[in-house]
Amino acid sequence: MSAVLPLLDLLPAAGALGLLVAGRERGERIARPLGVAVAGLTTLLAVLATGAAVRTRGFALQVDTVWVRALGVHAHLGIDGISAPLVLLTAVLVLCGLVYTWRVLPEPGRARELVGLILVLESGALGTFTALDLLLFFVAFETVLVPMWFIVAVWGDPHDPVARRGAATTFILYTALGSAVMLAGLLLVGLRAGTFDMTALTAMHGAGLAAGTQVVAVLAIGLGLAVKTPMWPLHTWLPGAHTAAPTVGSVLLAGVLLKMGTYGLVRIVVPILPAGARAVFPWLGVLAVVGILHGALACLGQRDLKRLVAYSSVGHMGFVLFGIATLTPVGINGALYANVAHGVVTGLLFFLVGSLKDRFGSVELSRLGGLYATHPRIGGLLALAAVASLGLPGLVGFWGEMLALLGAYQAGTLGWRLLMVAAGAGAVLTTLYFLRMLRRVAQQPRDPLAGSVPPGGGPLDPRSDVTGFEVASFSPLVLATVVLGLAPWVLLGLTDPVVRLLTGGA
Amino acid sequence: MSAVLVVLLPALPFLAAVLALSVGRAAPRLVAPTVITGTALAWLAALGLLAGDISSGGANVSVAGPVVPTGGPRLGIDLHLDGLAAVVSFMVTTVALAVQVYSTGYLRHDGHARPGPRYPSYAALVAVFTAAMLLVVVADDLFVLIVGWEVMGACSYFLIGHHWEEEGARAAAVKAFVMTRIGDVGLLFGVFALGVGAGSFGIRDVTAAVLSGRMAASTLTAGGLLLLLGVVGKSAQFPLHSWLPDAMAGPTPVSALIHAATMVAAGVYLVARMDEVFLASSTTLVALALVAAITMLGAALAALAQPDLKRVLAWSTVSQLAYMLAALAAGSYVAAGFHLLTHAAFKALLFLCAGAVAHTVGSTLLADMGGLRRRMPLTASVMAVGLLALAGVPPLSGGFSKEAVLGAVEEAALGHSPLPAWAGWVLLLSALATVAVTAAYTTRAWLLAFEGPEAASRAASHGVPVYPPTDPPASMAGPMLLLAVPAALLGLAGLSGSWLPSWLGRGGPGETGVFAAAVEHTLSFGWVTTVASLLLVAVGAGGTFLAWRSAGRTDPALHLGRARALLTEGFRVDEVYQVTVVAAVQALRAVPAWVDRDVIDVYVQGSARTATALGRVLRVSQLGQVQVYIGMALAGATLVGLAAVVAR
Repeated sequence: MSAVLPLLDLLPAAGALGLLVAGRERGERIARPLGVAVAGLTTLLAVLATGAAVRTRGFALQVDTVWVRALGVHAHLGIDGISAPLVLLTAVLVLCGLVYTWRVLPEPGRARELVGLILVLESGALGTFTALDLLLFFVAFETVLVPMWFIVAVWGDPHDPVARRGAATTFILYTALGSAVMLAGLLLVGLRAGTFDMTALTAMHGAGLAAGTQVVAVLAIGLGLAVKTPMWPLHTWLPGAHTAAPTVGSVLLAGVLLKMGTYGLVRIVVPILPAGARAVFPWLGVLAVVGILHGALACLGQRDLKRLVAYSSVGHMGFVLFGIATLTPVGINGALYANVAHGVVTGLLFFLVGSLKDRFGSVELSRLGGLYATHPRIGGLLALAAVASLGLPGLVGFWGEMLALLGAYQAGTLGWRLLMVAAGAGAVLTTLYFLRMLRRVAQQPRDPLAGSVPPGGGPLDPRSDVTGFEVASFSPLVLATVVLGLAPWVLLGLTDPVVRLLTGGA
Repeated sequence: MSAVLVVLLPALPFLAAVLALSVGRAAPRLVAPTVITGTALAWLAALGLLAGDISSGGANVSVAGPVVPTGGPRLGIDLHLDGLAAVVSFMVTTVALAVQVYSTGYLRHDGHARPGPRYPSYAALVAVFTAAMLLVVVADDLFVLIVGWEVMGACSYFLIGHHWEEEGARAAAVKAFVMTRIGDVGLLFGVFALGVGAGSFGIRDVTAAVLSGRMAASTLTAGGLLLLLGVVGKSAQFPLHSWLPDAMAGPTPVSALIHAATMVAAGVYLVARMDEVFLASSTTLVALALVAAITMLGAALAALAQPDLKRVLAWSTVSQLAYMLAALAAGSYVAAGFHLLTHAAFKALLFLCAGAVAHTVGSTLLADMGGLRRRMPLTASVMAVGLLALAGVPPLSGGFSKEAVLGAVEEAALGHSPLPAWAGWVLLLSALATVAVTAAYTTRAWLLAFEGPEAASRAASHGVPVYPPTDPPASMAGPMLLLAVPAALLGLAGLSGSWLPSWLGRGGPGETGVFAAAVEHTLSFGWVTTVASLLLVAVGAGGTFLAWRSAGRTDPALHLGRARALLTEGFRVDEVYQVTVVAAVQALRAVPAWVDRDVIDVYVQGSARTATALGRVLRVSQLGQVQVYIGMALAGATLVGLAAVVAR
């Protein structure tokens, strides 16, 4: 059983290696089937690993071998209740994305390279979520960056190469800068505490680390993680990157990459640097709420559907950060729930935006309209995703954001309650912009000045409603949206024991 | 057995909706039988539970579901059915069943054998709505209640927007959802306060904590006022009331079910369910009483001037819901529950009649009606039952329940309730004035739609083929006749002062403890209020009739003069919102673009230039942008080295 995690982490990378070895012509031919097969197998392993995490108290399937003796870096892997949901989410989203890519290969083609990069990215993300060594975490975290940069820069929006390259550059600039500072913070912690092992560090609960050191380390590590999340005001890379990226890139950015930042905060900062977190996190709470309001107001002013969904991520991740910042078990449980919910729902929203873009060539709001009449199934799914995203109770988006707010209420002071009320206002604004979006895109007839027939110009027939491959790639997300909305105890039962452990000494 | 029925109550309509949606495209013929069967089975379950309640003098069935581990107060997926819940779920399923049957006729348009292409999603949404409302009724945990509460709101949004090709429907749908969501955020925070205060989100745990005095007074008041915000949004009370008249853009059967009988009554139900919280704080009670006093009279006056039959009924609903809240403020949840039940029957009936008229006339404007009594004798006679009940004329249902409300309010004014007496007097005066205005607007609606000359402009103004108006087909007439029975007779349940209290008995802690004396457990009819209100009905109705006849059988509202426009526009509250809240949001939405572009990105571009310069220095190959990454990694490594030195 102990081979499960190394296999899980390395299988996608091995698939990418296989494509490299296969050569250009053969690789091009087998890339998409191979990609789906590898992602499918990875998903099975992820299910297996999640099953083990459910049954085990503490970390399941641990592996610990010395990796770089000179630096004291261990290849220490394990999975528990807070990493398992993200491992499963990553595997499922990559699988859905590759199924979608099988039918719609973004320009300029080159399936072998695109699939290879996606698989490398998956390995990196799974490594991040299963790493129990600070430096291994960092290496895995960084592995994700470069493939995503290529995906945006090469396969991004073909209509606007300048914006695409600019977005890719901004993305790499922000995240690389953040990562460098984060590495400094991780080394500071590891060297001062004498170990890079996250289980050992968690057990110490900050003992042996002076408060000043902790504050510096929280600021350094937090900066790298906050860029990735993204936290206001470090978010300006996100709208551009999300908008320029091809569908599969947007889905993985939203569903996988953004999660790595908030996961890092819960896995590393909260338990290992409790004193530093207590000092710094009230400010994180303020910035999180600013992000919620900023994202919602920005969405009210958007003219492009994809950019709207991108900006909605700033608000949703603001709720995740808000929950963590409260440092209460409720808030952190809420943050982890909202993390998964955002991956599922925003992933679905980006898929649907991709469906529209691949039909009409553009998703400018002024050129869309009347989906309920012309494309009732896409319109219906868009409506479901929108009400899930605005946090309707009974769907997945509610529980996380509600618990984040409850965490702030429980934190008790007047300041936290004022922040809670401001975040609640953000929830109302979120309702407003999603309903306005539906009104424009799904209900209102298309503007006659924009032409009576949708322009086409994508690889799919502009008149077609949801097709078979789309059903295949969307249905896991639709199912998760409803099931996790009606049965919140499934996910909270996994995270709650771990969260109690992580906050126990804090 | 009872426990199974309680679970089936919300589950059956939900399953029917899922089934109807999945067969919707392949076999549209099966949609109507599916949803009607699901609703009928839920009705049977409710009937069984109601029988149990009446025979045992207060049902009490608990179902404990999974506990949700949040790390905070206890949150469990628990259901509980008591007398109040049993009676209300029977009402909900009855109206839902009537509306599902009626809809099969209503959504079938001239010459079509079957309902149109939007019928499957419509029927499924009505069924989901029914499930959500039943979940609210049987919830034993505040979060279970919130799930049902907001799913209802979403169904209401989609159904108001049923005619999404019309701008009015689109705008009304958004307005309804956003305005109620403002209240819902308040409700959520109120739930936080009460749940954290009690250590559990269980409804009976919270009320028990209130009764035992364990909860701080400040928590109680804050929690109660925040709950009230949610109630005000959902039950369309001042100041969050203005979405309901606009919601009439939805199909009329939806107005009957959601915007008259059930969803908007959920706010009243919530206050009744959490009665202990409200009664424990006089601040909350006074706030509740003032909201009710302002809303009941204001909305009745607005109803007096509406040119549209459905909008008359909508404003009337706002006003009648305020009656129920007035009874609750006065401390009598029995009177409130009584009026909730009779109102559900007569108002759903009135909407179904209005739908029958709209179906054949092709308009909901009163100006397009007139003289329909001779053309539609069946509709006219059941409509008369509904209007007389609404006006509060005994022995029809509303006559009794309205007297029960007035009786309770009179007790409060005399100082026999936890509500301060001055607030009781405000309520009583407002309620008596509303009685007269209610009689006036019901009389006006009847005269304009069913008496007088037929509208000459009917054909000209709408350009549709002129059919002489006729009574509706059996699929619509059946449900109307069904609802006419309780609309006429339900008031007789109030004949004995002890029947309703024992059926609505909650069997919970509210019956004992410090509130046993405060909470009115019998219906009281005061002879002073009864005589006064009968006189006021006669004045309101008679005055309207004389005004109508003296002005040549034209709209009696013309006599209102300049006030008429103000009343038609609902006191122009929406204009106030337009220039304050809406304008503020519109101004603020430009802020993020400015912040991102002109503040944050200035720094980013500055650092980008630095990085590019760094990259130029480090350029060893033609890797282009990768340069930047390598540069950053090197910068990182330098920092690492520094940190390592510092650390040693």
